Amino acid sequence: MIYPLQQFGASSSGDVFSALGIDGQMLLIQGLAFLVLIYVLNRWVFPVLMKAVDDRQEAIEAGTKAAEAAEKKAEEAQEEVQRALKEARAEAKDIVTTAKDEANAMIASSEDKAKSRAEKIVKDAHEQLEKDVIAARKTLHNDTIELVALATEKVVGKTVNKDIDKKIIASAVKEEA
Amino acid sequence: MATAKLSRRKIAAYFADEVVAGRSVVKPLAAYLIESKRIREQGLIVRDIEAALADRGILFADVTSSYNLADDTKKAIQDYLKDKTKVKDVHLRTDVDESLLGGVRIETPDQRLDATLRHRLNQLTASKI
Repeated sequence: MIYPLQQFGASSSGDVFSALGIDGQMLLIQGLAFLVLIYVLNRWVFPVLMKAVDDRQEAIEAGTKAAEAAEKKAEEAQEEVQRALKEARAEAKDIVTTAKDEANAMIASSEDKAKSRAEKIVKDAHEQLEKDVIAARKTLHNDTIELVALATEKVVGKTVNKDIDKKIIASAVKEEA
Repeated sequence: MATAKLSRRKIAAYFADEVVAGRSVVKPLAAYLIESKRIREQGLIVRDIEAALADRGILFADVTSSYNLADDTKKAIQDYLKDKTKVKDVHLRTDVDESLLGGVRIETPDQRLDATLRHRLNQLTASKI
């Protein structure tokens, strides 16, 4: 640490550059070298680096865009999925509703058919019963007539004599006259 | 020689007039039926003659009963027929049919009165449904 100060003290009688330990010639050469270095860097190194940086930035931007696009697509896909799910739910709901309606209609139809059939069976039974009653009444009526005719014939055959016959004829003639 | 076939109506009218005139018609009618080969129509022709006689005031009626009719009963039937058909003379042909059970059946050429018990019983039986 003491050495630079000693050098500064020793050269205080020379010029300032010498006092500071700076060689003007060397400084010039170094400046030229620096400029050459700057030129070389600008000419061959910086463009490559800048290009790499630009490429990298472009790649990053492209990646970002791709990510954004992917995210957007993902969002769209999500929306599409949601929409499809919504449609599917709505369709499923419609299907279930339709199925319920159809089932209810079928049940109602079946009930109506069963009711109609039951009513028809009852009606047919009543009609058949009525027919049977009418047939029974007819049979009874006819049997009664047959019996009455037979009984009357038997009774009349035994009870009617000439006098009664005469009265019957007189009555018939009088009735017709 | 073949003669034209007379209608029963004309034949009946001719023989009815003969009866009304008091002439016998049995033999001429029989002869005509045989001659004209219309024996099969004798029943119809006799009935037509009776109908023609009824138009001329002479009525023949078939009366069927289950017992022989008394005279007053016959008289009552004749009076009934006179009143009913407006004829002057009524002749009854009586017959007995025990199956009639009772009552009387009177048949004229154009009318029939069945007042027998058999007919009533038949009507009753026919009323079966």
